[in-house]
Amino acid sequence: MEDETFLTDDFLRQLINVGEVDILVGLPTRNNAKTIGSIVHTIQSGILGGFPRERAVIINVDGGSRDGTPELVTGISIDDVRPASNLHALRTLHSISTNYAGSPESGVAFRTILAAAELLRAKACIVMSPESVNSESDWLSKLLRPIYRDGFDLVTPTYRRHKFDGLLMTNLLYPMIRALYGVRIREAFTPEFGFSNRLGSQFLGQNGWADGTGGSGVELRFTLAAITGGYRVCQSFLGKKDHVERRAADLVPTLRQTVGVLFSALESDFSVWSKVVGSQPVPTTGSDQELLLDPMRVNRKRLRQMFSTGVAELQSVFQSILSPPTLEGLQRIAALGEEEFHYSAELWVRTVYEFAASYQKSVISRDHIIQAIAPLFRGRVCTFLGENRNASANDVETNIEGLCLEFERLKPYLLQMWKSRE
Amino acid sequence: MPLNKDALWYKDAIIYQVHVRTFYDSNGDGIGDFQGLEQKLDYLQELGINAIWLMPFFPSPLRDDGYDIADYNAVHSSYGTLEDFRKLLESAHERGIRVIIEMVLNHTSDQHPWFQQSRSSQNNPYRDWYVWSDTDTRYKGTRIIFLDTETSNWAWDPTSKSFYWHRFFSHQPDLNYDNPAVREQMWNVMTFWLEMGVDAFRLDAVPYLVEREGTNCENLPETHTILKDLRRKLDEQFTGRMLLAEANQWPADLRPYFGDGDEFHMAFHFPLMPRMFMGLKLEDRKPITEILQQTPEIPPSCQWSLFLRNHDELTLEMVTDMERDYMYDMYAESKTMRLNLGIRRRLASLLNNDRRRIELMNGMLMSLPGTPIIYYGDEIGMGDNILLGDRNGVRTPMQWSGGWNSGFSNAETERLYAPLIQDPVYGYPAVNVLAQRESEHSLLRWMQRIITVRRSTGAFGRGSIEFLYPANHRILAYLRKLGKDVVLVVNNLSSTAQAVELDLRRYKGNIPIEMFGNNMFPRVGDLPYLLTMGPYQFYWFRLRRI
Repeated sequence: MEDETFLTDDFLRQLINVGEVDILVGLPTRNNAKTIGSIVHTIQSGILGGFPRERAVIINVDGGSRDGTPELVTGISIDDVRPASNLHALRTLHSISTNYAGSPESGVAFRTILAAAELLRAKACIVMSPESVNSESDWLSKLLRPIYRDGFDLVTPTYRRHKFDGLLMTNLLYPMIRALYGVRIREAFTPEFGFSNRLGSQFLGQNGWADGTGGSGVELRFTLAAITGGYRVCQSFLGKKDHVERRAADLVPTLRQTVGVLFSALESDFSVWSKVVGSQPVPTTGSDQELLLDPMRVNRKRLRQMFSTGVAELQSVFQSILSPPTLEGLQRIAALGEEEFHYSAELWVRTVYEFAASYQKSVISRDHIIQAIAPLFRGRVCTFLGENRNASANDVETNIEGLCLEFERLKPYLLQMWKSRE
Repeated sequence: MPLNKDALWYKDAIIYQVHVRTFYDSNGDGIGDFQGLEQKLDYLQELGINAIWLMPFFPSPLRDDGYDIADYNAVHSSYGTLEDFRKLLESAHERGIRVIIEMVLNHTSDQHPWFQQSRSSQNNPYRDWYVWSDTDTRYKGTRIIFLDTETSNWAWDPTSKSFYWHRFFSHQPDLNYDNPAVREQMWNVMTFWLEMGVDAFRLDAVPYLVEREGTNCENLPETHTILKDLRRKLDEQFTGRMLLAEANQWPADLRPYFGDGDEFHMAFHFPLMPRMFMGLKLEDRKPITEILQQTPEIPPSCQWSLFLRNHDELTLEMVTDMERDYMYDMYAESKTMRLNLGIRRRLASLLNNDRRRIELMNGMLMSLPGTPIIYYGDEIGMGDNILLGDRNGVRTPMQWSGGWNSGFSNAETERLYAPLIQDPVYGYPAVNVLAQRESEHSLLRWMQRIITVRRSTGAFGRGSIEFLYPANHRILAYLRKLGKDVVLVVNNLSSTAQAVELDLRRYKGNIPIEMFGNNMFPRVGDLPYLLTMGPYQFYWFRLRRI
């Protein structure tokens, strides 16, 4: 079992003591001491309330916390939950923890969780985010029950989000995955999701872990593996999604974890997505998506400036990536004033598809390709914000749907580029 | 083998619970009797028990299997005569077996002359011996125990045109313990049997003796005062006798029944029993350790009484709703298996006749703190008949052999007080004493062995308990200590093989000696003591420093 040797002896000993389980909750952490207490209580309440008879374990995989996060996870007693929730545990609920050295990439944590799930023969598993500060105990049931009871293999969440939250998801990942893979999964890259043992085991056995980290964006790879493997996928509406306040993440690392992973997957998944026509909804419990419309200040001017600057400064890079008409289109809108600026859906889709094709061909360094898409994405966001500034939830949904259809309509264009390269 | 003179004999006892009616019929009338039981005392001695607890054998209309007593100073004619009982008592004592009998203090049969007098007129001297009322609205806060059959704790008596109080069946009116004459009379009844030589009483339904408005009429201080008075009289007039409380209550509510060692000597630990079954099914020690953690210390002279099954349903009163639902789903999938708040099945059938689980449960019964009680027939793995009403399905004739009427009676089969178990798995041709005596590896032989081992040390009956909490929750491990005698008990509650590491550093240098085979295991060192255990396996180790 070469794949399991990365588990430490101490962790293995803990797993032996836990034994076979029905429910496994994976909790990757790194310096989450401020929030982890409430998250663990939520998990415990969710297990007691939704799965009181099942054998369950919480597995914390920590990436080198220096704030005592692992100790907090294992030290929180289920008895702390019981009086408040009036819940009673029939069974022992284990909370165990392990850590890993080196880069705190999510891939290592997820691989550890998958390995534990396989060794413990967990029937249903869930990964919870240590930063989902408003997570509710019923999230566990919502993400686990379709697997445990209904035989699904992957449950992705949908949330009640602000209409301008998750713009990478709404403007690129969701529509592109939908168009290429034919499956309408709203949140393909998410820190909390449920999965079956058979999906987890299959993914664990795949190649791609060789570098020891599994690479970033493993959650997205996991979702795509579920789709291409023909596993049963569904969505479950969780409710409002908040996360801890933190410094705005640099866009490029996020693009690497998402767009980079997606582009990379297109290569290996070509035989699958090239045959897909149109798209199908996935079974969904609760709302497909709910949008909040609270007023929000956004600096569209700066976004447009970053777009224009990027188009100018990266011209030589874009010449390697983009077709002349697309590049001309970008240069044309880059010259427009703030009021006239409009990055159309069609031009955006063509841009993305051409980036994907260039990534496959490796016309330049793949990482540079991913970096180069950042200013263009900002331009697209600028337009999206403008279009939807006063839009109702329905209008926003209509716009997103329009973009999705554009991705689907232009899919032959991507296929044409891909095949011409072959 | 004479009786030992130790006043704390009940701490070392292994009690066998039997109904005279069910055990052996000596006169061929289809009903077990005292002479029959006496003839089978050798069997019980061979089994290794040293006390028998007899269910009610008093004159009774038998509408509640004898718990509806119509005369406290006689025996039911079906079982023989008072002289027969005396001879049984004498024969048991000759074999070193003590005799515990039932004493139903709380209520009588409605056929008892006291009640007949009481209902006959408002002015009758016995009127105040029972609890009467013009309305059925008093004591509203009192729960109904027999939910399946009763809708109120009050019953209308058309004779005296008033309501009488009953906590159990309506044909069992509660005695009025506020009446000093009742208290005196019940002590007289006890004296009658004590003078005959009875060693102990199991006092039935003791929490319910007294009623008070605004309470739940259970465990009241006045009840404890009455019980303490009985104990005082017992100690003053009779030595070496014992009172065992039947009080189906939570541990904290049970504790007062021991008083300061001046109330009951023993009490059943009702909440533990269902949790042993729960722990086995969950494959998790949590229910067991949790309830024992909640169990308060009791005075040194007192003792818990433990059991796996008895003549009643497997009571689920002392569990949470969620636990009860779980128990029903796991152990009584058919509604006919359920009765009141419980499950009316025997040990073997509850455990699907799985020999390993039966042994493990008996292993825990014999090694947890308390005095174990074995229900008749469970030592051979008898089954039940859920088609018989009420709790009669677990009260069928003892299966002595595969012959006529299972060797229980020479009567025509139709005359037996209850049908024999005849199904292919548990029926008497397959499960009987004769066959198991002949088989070295039978459950009966195994039970004899474990009783022998249990009796080889005082640690089980009198020792302290200290739980070990290995990280593997499927393992229930504890130390029983009495002086220098230390016994390590390790139970695997799981259906699969398990590895467990025990922290025994305090016993570094000791050699664990497995008590069934007297084999040595590796000496305890600095490292966690590693054991691998088969499914449902258990170990008893005597820790010896040599």
